[in-house]
Amino acid sequence: MKPRVAVFDFASCEGCELQLFNLEEKFLDLIKIVDVVSFREGMKEHSDLYDIAVIDGSIMRPMDVERLKIIRKKAKTVVALGACACIGGVNKLRNQWTSENVRREVYGDANLEGNPLFDIFPARAVDEVVKVDYYVPGCPIDRAEFTKVITAVIMGREPRLPSYPVCVECKLRENQCVFELGMFCLGPITRAGCNAICPTHRKGCAGCRGFLEDANMDAFKDVLRKYKIPMDEWLKCFDMFNCKIKREK
Amino acid sequence: MKSMTRGQWFSFTDSLIQDNTRDIIGVQSKGKRFHFALLENAHDLRLDHDVTLLPPKKFLLPTHEELIRFDISRPFEVSSSKPDRAQILIGVHPYDVIAIQQLDAVYQNPPVDDIYAARRKNTLIIASDILTIASRSFAGSLGNHVVTSGYDLLVTDLGDIVVIDEGTSAGRELLKSFGECREALTPEIERVTQLRAELPGRYRHKLKVDKWQWTELLLNNSTHPLWEKNARKCLSCGTCTLVCPTCFCYDVDDVMDINMKEGTRVRTWDSCLLRDFTLIGSGEIFRQAPVDRYRHRFYRKGVYLPQRFGFVACVGCGRCATQCLSDIADPLNVMNTLAASSVETRLDLPIPHKKPHHLQGPIFLPKSATIIRREKMTQTDTFYEIELDSRKPLGHQPGQFVEVSIFGMGEAPISVASAPEPGRNSFDLLVRSVGNVTTHLQSLTVGDKIGIRGPFGNGFDAASLRKRDLMFIAGGCGMAPMRSLVKYVLAHRSEFGEVSLLYGCKDPDSILFNADLNVWKTRTDIVQKFTVDDCPAGASWDGNIGVITDLIPLIDFDPGKTTAIIVGPPVMYRFVIKNLKDRGMPDDNIIVSLERRMKCGVGKCGHCQINGVYVCLEGPVFNYADIKDLPEAF
Ligand code: SF4
Ligand code: SF4
Ligand code: SF4
Repeated sequence: MKPRVAVFDFASCEGCELQLFNLEEKFLDLIKIVDVVSFREGMKEHSDLYDIAVIDGSIMRPMDVERLKIIRKKAKTVVALGACACIGGVNKLRNQWTSENVRREVYGDANLEGNPLFDIFPARAVDEVVKVDYYVPGCPIDRAEFTKVITAVIMGREPRLPSYPVCVECKLRENQCVFELGMFCLGPITRAGCNAICPTHRKGCAGCRGFLEDANMDAFKDVLRKYKIPMDEWLKCFDMFNCKIKREK
Repeated sequence: MKSMTRGQWFSFTDSLIQDNTRDIIGVQSKGKRFHFALLENAHDLRLDHDVTLLPPKKFLLPTHEELIRFDISRPFEVSSSKPDRAQILIGVHPYDVIAIQQLDAVYQNPPVDDIYAARRKNTLIIASDILTIASRSFAGSLGNHVVTSGYDLLVTDLGDIVVIDEGTSAGRELLKSFGECREALTPEIERVTQLRAELPGRYRHKLKVDKWQWTELLLNNSTHPLWEKNARKCLSCGTCTLVCPTCFCYDVDDVMDINMKEGTRVRTWDSCLLRDFTLIGSGEIFRQAPVDRYRHRFYRKGVYLPQRFGFVACVGCGRCATQCLSDIADPLNVMNTLAASSVETRLDLPIPHKKPHHLQGPIFLPKSATIIRREKMTQTDTFYEIELDSRKPLGHQPGQFVEVSIFGMGEAPISVASAPEPGRNSFDLLVRSVGNVTTHLQSLTVGDKIGIRGPFGNGFDAASLRKRDLMFIAGGCGMAPMRSLVKYVLAHRSEFGEVSLLYGCKDPDSILFNADLNVWKTRTDIVQKFTVDDCPAGASWDGNIGVITDLIPLIDFDPGKTTAIIVGPPVMYRFVIKNLKDRGMPDDNIIVSLERRMKCGVGKCGHCQINGVYVCLEGPVFNYADIKDLPEAF
């Protein structure tokens, strides 16, 4: 029997799900090897019987936690899809403010008391709530990496994400380093796997795949100083996808 | 020497492009820099470039390259990758020509990489003299600003005139087929000579130490503070090796097509500066500290490759210096700093001399083999008896290993657990489930097909053990390669003196090869002692509880007459060896078999290196005396 796949969305722009459709004819190949049983963005049907749950988006509310825990219980394998699910991504930017302030900023004085849709806590990545088996990071995800991960999961092979920085792929594509062009790039501390798409298009890496756990931050900051990158620009870039600030309600 | 006008040179290049039998690759601008790329227009070719971002190596050893293609929907279907089109590389600077000669030496050294060799044979090189010197290059100090061989044609762009030296008959043919060139005139040749003679003086960066002194300098300075100081700035980004024309290590991985039927085994450039370069299935990383990786790169260039091939593996192109963001990768700076320091502790890192390998044919194409017996031995270990479908014996020596392929999963190096026996075609493997391949193997059963490459490496030298007393010391699944030797020795028992086997495991349930051990127990000509780290309550166990070194005092041995053979997990060696040495055993009487990440098995991919030693070529079996001084060995 083909493995049954269900795709679920939480707080995200759903761009990563769109990337699945962008697989185009490969998507047709994909549905030959799996049964997609639930995918709100792409189909009306829904089934609660699935083997692989693909989770898009960050976890923001108590009601999300409940839903996610049920999904985890039903799925054999949970795959986090995209930056929001894998590391919290841009959603974590709002953790710099209290939930109270965030609500007021967006909805003004509207009375939202008691409405569970607006009962938020600081944004979390999926693995801060349930166990995640495999990750497909990125904003948006890299389609080739998604197929690599999904084929590996189906074969029963552990898909390994690169443990080296984006610079590796950037070199293999023979790019001129964007630092030489006067730009700022998070490539040296960010996990590869995107095939250095941003530097290849002459844009610094924004770190959407998350920082490497053993990144040499001190050495990287020296590089930023060497290239005279203004400090406020660093901080903005560091926080964009990898905001570490945590503030409770 | 020949010459032609600039106009004729364009027509010549153009004629090459028009002739559709070959890909014409030339230097072209890429933003403010240069790269080698497919040439579509003769006018895009630049001969005034300083240096290209990546070396022309990428057309001989592509960044990503298919080694084999397979179809997992069939029992065993695999084929070699198709050969590429012929190609001509135009604009290769002298230092890059020299780097290609080094690649040739490495990849065409037995066992020959047939894929590289085929591509190389199909490649012509039109080199060009350096007109613009790259800002960080120091090729002049190495004598690599000019070349006298290694090219088919060498062009010198004198502006109005292009002078061409014919390096090979293939080059001469190429020129002849174009027709429009004449003998170079003496003044033209003089201009070329002068251009070359003036080059060294034009380099801003000069090496203060001759390249042939690099080896000494590095061996004398392994603990120089520069290593730590620079490594603190290292981003472990691999750039310094990826842009280097003389670096050649690669990784191999299986990639499935989305139809889940076909797939390819792909090799990709890898870098010893990346943390997981030395990672093995069980999770061990042998070059864990950034400083060890940072230093390794320089030792490779200045010690290991010179020892093995007789060349310094840096041609002074300056790519690493320009592209390392922290600017710590430049060999010129490192060597000049070391040159200024006094001698510290002296290291010797010799490469043990071993039998060369004579593998023939496609080295990456696995042979089809069938599982003919399978037996689960412990929770994590399974025993397999394998037969090649050719029905030929594997032809191995005790202690050698094979690469086991499961298409779509990859390859894993596995020691052969049986001795070669007359009349027996099959061989035994013991597989512990630690990675993708080994875990998947557990699900295979009798009749299933696997791929086999090998046997690889240097095994136990049985002849040198003759007449000696033998003490086998095995830990965990080290018992698998050990079994191949024990079986051999027992089959030729009269040729050896006293024989003992010490075997340690985690707990009684993890003991491997119980059937063999029980048979051997009935023999009076082999003493066996066992220990376990831990014995859960209720388990029946009459051996020792404790570490393997507890067993050594139980054996009455003469350290001079005895050879100890040790195979076990990496942590075991240091303790056992110390214990034996305390008992007076000379280094020369200790034999070890070491585990590393033997990815290619043929001495190319670089993952299994212990300092300059390739475990897959010189090992996995070593005489302790040969490698005891290698800091990375134990
Ligand atoms: S552009 Fe970014 S990713 Fe590429 S080499 Fe430079 S720092 Fe690394
Ligand atoms: S290029 Fe520089 S920072 Fe990157 S791995 Fe090499 S030495 Fe380290
Ligand atoms: S080590 Fe650096 S200078 Fe030497 S050949 Fe490699 S890239 Fe060029």
